[in-house]
Amino acid sequence: MQHETTNPPMISVRGMSKLFGKFVALDRVDFDVSRGEKIVVLGPSGSGKSTLIRTLNQIEPHDSGMLTIDGKLINDKTDPIQLRCMVGMVFQNYNLFPHLSALENCILAPMRVKRMTRLEATTLARRYLDLVGIPDQADKYPIQLSGGQQQRVAIARALCMQPEVMLFDEPTAALDPEAIVGVVGIMDELSEQGITTVCVTHEMAFSRRIADRIIFMDQGKIVEITPPETFFTSPKTDRAQNFLNQMLRY
Amino acid sequence: MTSFFSRLPLMRRFRRVAALAVMLGAPIGAHGTTHAEQIPSFVHDGTLTVCTNPTLPPMTFVKGQDVSHPEGFDIDVAQALATRWQARLSVITMDFTGLFPSLSAQRCGLVMSGIIRTPAREKSFDAVSYQDTALVVVGRKGTPSLSSMDELSGKDVAVESGTSYVTRLGVVNDALVAAGKPPMIIQQYPTEEQVVQQVLIGRVFAFVSQDVELFYRMRQLRDKLHVLITPDIPDYRHFAIYIRQNAEDRTLLQNAISALDADGSLQTLRTKWSVTDQSTKNGPDEAAASGMFDWSAFFSALTSTAFLHGALITLSVALISHIIAITISVPIAIVLNSPQQSVLKIALEGYVSLFRAAPTLLQLLFIWNAVPQFFPIFREQWFTPFLATILALSINESAYQVEINRAALSAVDPGQELGASALGLSRRDIYWRVIFPQAFRIALPPTINEFINLLKITSLASVISLQELLAVTQIQVARTFAFTEYYAAALIYYLVMVFFFLFLQKRVERRFSWSDRKKVVSNAA
Ligand SMILES: Nc1ncnc2c1ncn2[C@@H]1O[C@H](COP(=O)(O)OP(=O)(O)OP(=O)(O)O)[C@@H](O)[C@H]1O
Ligand SMILES: [Mg+2]
Repeated sequence: MQHETTNPPMISVRGMSKLFGKFVALDRVDFDVSRGEKIVVLGPSGSGKSTLIRTLNQIEPHDSGMLTIDGKLINDKTDPIQLRCMVGMVFQNYNLFPHLSALENCILAPMRVKRMTRLEATTLARRYLDLVGIPDQADKYPIQLSGGQQQRVAIARALCMQPEVMLFDEPTAALDPEAIVGVVGIMDELSEQGITTVCVTHEMAFSRRIADRIIFMDQGKIVEITPPETFFTSPKTDRAQNFLNQMLRY
Repeated sequence: MTSFFSRLPLMRRFRRVAALAVMLGAPIGAHGTTHAEQIPSFVHDGTLTVCTNPTLPPMTFVKGQDVSHPEGFDIDVAQALATRWQARLSVITMDFTGLFPSLSAQRCGLVMSGIIRTPAREKSFDAVSYQDTALVVVGRKGTPSLSSMDELSGKDVAVESGTSYVTRLGVVNDALVAAGKPPMIIQQYPTEEQVVQQVLIGRVFAFVSQDVELFYRMRQLRDKLHVLITPDIPDYRHFAIYIRQNAEDRTLLQNAISALDADGSLQTLRTKWSVTDQSTKNGPDEAAASGMFDWSAFFSALTSTAFLHGALITLSVALISHIIAITISVPIAIVLNSPQQSVLKIALEGYVSLFRAAPTLLQLLFIWNAVPQFFPIFREQWFTPFLATILALSINESAYQVEINRAALSAVDPGQELGASALGLSRRDIYWRVIFPQAFRIALPPTINEFINLLKITSLASVISLQELLAVTQIQVARTFAFTEYYAAALIYYLVMVFFFLFLQKRVERRFSWSDRKKVVSNAA
């Protein structure tokens, strides 16, 4: 893999677990993500994919094990705000703020968290709204935008914090096929910019195209970590094979 | 007046009045002639505080537009006593049923409010008579006189609730039932003028009152009323001043009254207020209310400072209480909405249930009359009915507002909080920039509803003598008998206030266009 360097990995996870009450949602997972690497997380519903990426920006803090981001150990004493400035996230349901326009959605965090002036934040936001292809929708409220447009705003909003890592949790799952094409196009573009990405998705073609490695999960465990060519043609485990068979049936 | 503690009529009007400072050159008992007299212990710091219910002309009532200045025979006698004792007179006005609890709670040194001397009351308080009186049964002009109380059998009779007449009529009824006759049907009303009104509008056959009040009403209503019978009831012959039990104070008060009687002061006041002579040739004080709607009375009420002042009190009590209630209720709602169990949460749940369950009126009475018995600090001058009402209503309203806020906060998609924290926003920003603006839109209509409710509920505070709009209206009605005109004026004030806030709600809701696709499109167009 072309990203292997002497640098410490961007993300390093060792024996990390997450419990919801007695239910083990993440069971001692281990993996590294190098700087600039693109990871796609696959797995059946309820396997812990969302939980996994949510621990990476600590909106779900982990219960045990070790997590380091950019060489810094992350635990309950870490300032979550600093971490989240570095690790942006896009959700399946966009989670845009309905009472703010597209532009206001984008400038809120840069102004409140990074203390940018409105002018600086607006300039930045317009650049990213441009990048995601909706420069003319800046003044509309989320309710006036289509699903695809809303997801583009959500991506621009996350990018405005200029994170080093982007997390995507099924960003296209709520979109119709046409909108999927647009959003996937943007993600292709982002992947060319060298930003470290961890993406949960069911878009097989997209995964194949951009992923450096696939993480396959089942029942809270990482079952295998393989490059996409291997994963899609000859997965190492039966569980992955079953999963692929199911996906192909759709 | 044994019934006085057992009956708490709901809408009694209490009035609190700013201290009536004795002006220099008091009218009676010039300073020079009174030699040093022993001062009773209920005179504190050179102030004699009197509790009265100013709806009983000519004993104690509000004559002019200024509801904070009751006048009448009782007030002048109290003034004469204060002057004798070289004290300042402070008059606290309130609902009749609140008089004795206030005396017990040491809010006042004595009670003077045209109250009959009865043995039942003397079990708890000391009494000193200052005026003779008699009980009268009054009907409409043209009703034939009665030869005995038995003839009231089966008839409707109105009395003022909380008064001793209620008990006295009960005795008559017992005798009627024992004799195998149907008893009188007794209707109780919270104020004297309402009692009279029931006879005037023909709802009841007669009302029971005191002769001195009747003399006044007769002048006001000229030939509309007629005394049906003046039964001889030994217990009902004197008006008395009541004080907390204290033999020495009673003797001092008795001596002072005797002295005022001896030097002719009392007689002068009796003549001034026509307390004894029914056939006064003085012209009527006020034109009696006619059957027609009196537009000029209506407009003068509408534009009077008394009404405006009452409305301002109503409005400010409601506004301040609601702002405090909202401020308290938001953090409570956030704690109650959190998934974790905690002692704090259980305590807050208890708070909300308690104050939602307890009647507002009870809470007001509790704070005003019961709490001072345990914490004397709440008896002091600074704890005014205004503050007490705000305290009671803030707590009460916060319990309701908690439920509104909880519903509004849980109606905000949890994804909003996730999205905001993923952006690195602080807890504070997450609430103020993301969750509150959305919850506010949901909470606004029920909150405005609550506020309108609160605006109306402030009228309950008249029981602890707050001079709010309805209390002012009732005092003015007692003076003028212009029921329709004054009620209409009060209604206008309430309507204007409510409509203003509904208008405000509409204006604010326009800013929520982001929640409605159609609106947002038409705005953009
Ligand atoms: N807040 C929570 N409380 C309790 N259980 C939870 C919570 N969040 C997730 N879980 C459970 O943890 C498991 C993993 O959930 P997660 O959302 O990570 O699955 P997923 O792989 O993202 O599934 P999907 O593909 O459906 O999104 C599920 O069984 C889920 O029920
Ligand atoms: Mg998921």
